[in-house]
This record gives sequence, structure tokens and C-alpha cells, in this order.
Amino acid sequence: MDVTLERVLVFRGGRSVLDVSALSFLSGTTTAVFGPNGAGKTTLLRVVAGLEQPVRGRVLIGNAEPARDRGPPRAAIAFQERVFVGGSVRRNMELALELRGVPRADRAGRIAEAAAECGIGMLLDRPARQLSSGEAQRANLARALALRAPVTLLDEPLSGIDRIARTQLLDELPRLLATFATTTLLVTHDREEAFRLADHLVVLVDGMVLAAGPKSLVYRSPGNRAVAELLGYTVLTHRDGLVAVPPSGLHLGHGSPGFVLTAERVVDMGNHMHLIGRIGPVRVNLRLAPCTTPPPPGAMLDVHAPGSVPLP
Amino acid sequence: MSDLAQGFAEALRLLGRGDAELWSIVLRTLAISGAATLLAMVAGVPLGYALARGRFHGRTFLLALVNTGMGMPPVVVGLVVWLLLTRSGPFGGLDLIYTRRAMVLAQFLIATPLVIGFTAASVQALPPQLPDLLISLGANRLRTLWILSREAKLGLLAAVMAGFGAIVSEVGASMTVGGNLRGSTRVLTTAIVTETSRGNLPVALALGLVLLLLAFLVNLVLTALQQRRAR
Repeated sequence: MDVTLERVLVFRGGRSVLDVSALSFLSGTTTAVFGPNGAGKTTLLRVVAGLEQPVRGRVLIGNAEPARDRGPPRAAIAFQERVFVGGSVRRNMELALELRGVPRADRAGRIAEAAAECGIGMLLDRPARQLSSGEAQRANLARALALRAPVTLLDEPLSGIDRIARTQLLDELPRLLATFATTTLLVTHDREEAFRLADHLVVLVDGMVLAAGPKSLVYRSPGNRAVAELLGYTVLTHRDGLVAVPPSGLHLGHGSPGFVLTAERVVDMGNHMHLIGRIGPVRVNLRLAPCTTPPPPGAMLDVHAPGSVPLP
Repeated sequence: MSDLAQGFAEALRLLGRGDAELWSIVLRTLAISGAATLLAMVAGVPLGYALARGRFHGRTFLLALVNTGMGMPPVVVGLVVWLLLTRSGPFGGLDLIYTRRAMVLAQFLIATPLVIGFTAASVQALPPQLPDLLISLGANRLRTLWILSREAKLGLLAAVMAGFGAIVSEVGASMTVGGNLRGSTRVLTTAIVTETSRGNLPVALALGLVLLLLAFLVNLVLTALQQRRAR
């Protein structure tokens, strides 16, 4: 189901924490809400979940307003804090389905299915509050996905779990979302997560949407400095104006746009050499082929960035 | 030592004989303190919840007030209730002084801060996002409160035990506002005071043992409820 925000304004402590004039998430897509800490990402999810009331504007899921309409909620939310009631994982999932009005006869099957897909089939009878962080996140996801809600909201689904568990879950999540979720909004402050999990991107800073659209489009035309830097570009000053250089986008030699790099030091990384230096005041780095003779500190090198994007 | 042994024997004798007056005192004690505890729960649990969850001005001040109330001397509460209910007092017209209702009121005032304090502490120990989780799943207000109470069961039953324990064993307020009228407002604690002052030490001790037994049985039931494992 489509999710639409129209002129939504949320205040907290006398200060606007979310100010969105128009934003929509199309049915069937996965959108990453991406931005630094405190940008209002979680607030956006809470508004869509109907947990927070905007002081102005409205949020529509399909054609219903979750914050105002009585009736069954349409969004399933997996909180970043991985909250559980006391008791087993099964009891937690059972309660969720029961509160959503799923008939008793269907619950066991739905629980078994979601648990198996999320890889926690053998943890169903364990106390939910005693799971490891990775297991708890899977249980948290399984509980939300088992609802098969028209809109699924995931708040930082990969934060605070150990590296191996995170890598595995990052691999499995797209398939899980394709199986259980229709429209998905996921909040993340991690660029890699945003690009690996989502097809659309909303860049949020200080409660305002700085960019939104299909991820490749947003990536290829960041539009302004803040978005470019969040997306991992290095912003450099060129004689024609600002340019955004993508990661590993600097190469030795003449070209356009060209810069002069002052070398500082070189680190041998085994399979390549890592040159660290400065272009003007900005610290940059550049990959050199394995056995190149490292330039001495202070050497001035000509570099160019063929894949860079001009910024207005 | 002989007094103790005598008291114990007397207690068994009184209980075994099924002494009618003793039983009526026991039942009256249970009824008055039970009613006061129940009312304290009805008033104290929502207030404790609000204090724990609320974000309003003066919340810390109120919590400190409640925590002070948890240690309020019963005799002071009794005195205040007496001043309010006495014939010449502002509520003298209600004709409540020296009745069981007056005792329930005084005991209610003693137990409520305890219930509020224990409730607030146990609700604050729950994960702060739990209410949001339940609301997002579609639980209405009543259902949310019910599930949260079940989650805070340990603390809430501790609140019942603390409240009941405090008032079933207090004597100052019951004596002051109830008057220890035989057959009407005499409860176990006031009966103990009476027998002690008359020099009937074995009987006083026997009543003390009965009081302890009563408190133990009530707490046994509550503890069993509290410790029952969640499925």
C-alpha cells in the first residue's frame, strides 16, 4: 500500500523535529530513510506507525489516516530497542498475532513460517529477553514480518549486533522482505545498509528531506553538499565550482576535473598502496598499484576525478 | 519463657476451640484491611503508573512526596483522620468516627503511598518502549494496561503485600479512629493492646501469633501468585 505524507510537521519540546512537505513511498518498494543521528528518522517511522501525532498535515496509508482513524493498525514496526514481553519468543509472536486479530487456528502456522524463514525456528521456546543481540533482532523481525502488514517499518534493523550476525542478516534481509513485506520503510544511518537493502532513498537531515527518489538517481545527482557528503562523496573546490568525488574516484594523471594533491604518507596495504594527502584543506586518499614507488611526503601530484559530479 | 510457652498453648487452645469472639475479630481484621488494600490498589496503581510514565512538571517532587508517605507514622494518619471525622470536625456530620469505615479510610491512606511507590518502581523497570509496542500492535488502552500489569506482576504483588502488611499490623490509626469497640471496631492489633494493658499476657501473645499466622497465609497466597512462572 502507498504511504503518503502531506505537509507533516512534528514538534517535540517546542522544536520542530520533522517537517516534510510531501513524500510518498510507493506500494511494493523498499525505502531507506537515511541520515545522521537526530535527523528525525525514527520520528518519521513513529508518525507512519500512528504512534506520534503531527501538529499539522497528515499521513495516509492507502487512503486511511493511521493517527486519527480508529481501526486495525496497518503498519508493523520493529523497534530498534528490540522490546519483548516476558516469556518465550513464541509467546511474543503469539501476542502480536492475537492483538492483530489473527484467528487462533492460523497463529501456529504463521509463527512457524516466519520463525523458520528468519532462522529462529529452534529459538521459539527460549525466553525472548535472554537472546543474544543477533538472535533478538531476528526474533524482533520475525514478530513484525509474521503480521504480513501492508507496511513494514524497520528501525535500524542491523544496529547493535555483532559483525558476523550483521553480515548474515544483511545478506538475508532482502529475501525476507520480498517474502513477507510489501511496502517497507527502513531507517538507517549506515550508507552500505541503505544501498544494500533498499531501492529508494530518502535523505533526512534536521527533520527535512534533502533528497528522495530511486537510489541510483539520488546517488548520481546528490544536488547539494550535505547530501553528497552523507552519500560518501568527497566535496572539493575546483575553479568551476564545487565537485563531488565518489569514493575511490581520484586517479593519478591529468584529466578533467583536475586537482593538485599534496602527498602526506603512503600505507602499504598488501594488495595495493594507500596514498593519503590533501587537496587544498580537504584530506583525500587514493589507491596506487602494488609496487609503485611511493611519492615522498610533500610531493605535488596531478590527479583527476573522471566520475565526479558538479554541485550547484 | 514460660509466658511464651503459655501464650503459644493459649493460641492453640483458642484456635482449636473455635472461640467465636476470636474468629469474629480475625474476620473483621481481614475485611477492614482487605478492603483498605483493595481501595489502595484501585487508587494507587493508576497513580503509580502515571508517576512512572508521565513527563510533567513537579514529577520528582510528587515522587519524593509519595516516598515520604511510604514511611508515614500510622498514628499521625489516624490523628488527621480523627480530626476530620470527629463530631465537631469538618466531616463530623458524616457520623463516621469510631466505625469500621473510618478504619478503612485511615488504613487506605496509609497503604496508598506504598502502593503508588511500589507500582511506580516496577513500571519504571519495564522496557520504556513496551507501551508503544503494544499500541502499534493494536492493543486498546485497557488491553495495554492489562498486559503491562501482567509484565509488572512482581512489583504489583509486592505492592499488595507491602500495603496489606503495613495496615494489618498497625495499631495507632485503628485505635484512634476506630476506638477499639468490642464487637464493632476491635481488630487483632487493638485487641492485643487491650489484653496487654489488662495483664492478660498469654491471650495477648496468642492474638499476636494469630495475627502473624493470618499475615503469613495472605502472603503465602500472594507470593505463590507472584512466583508463578509466565508461560
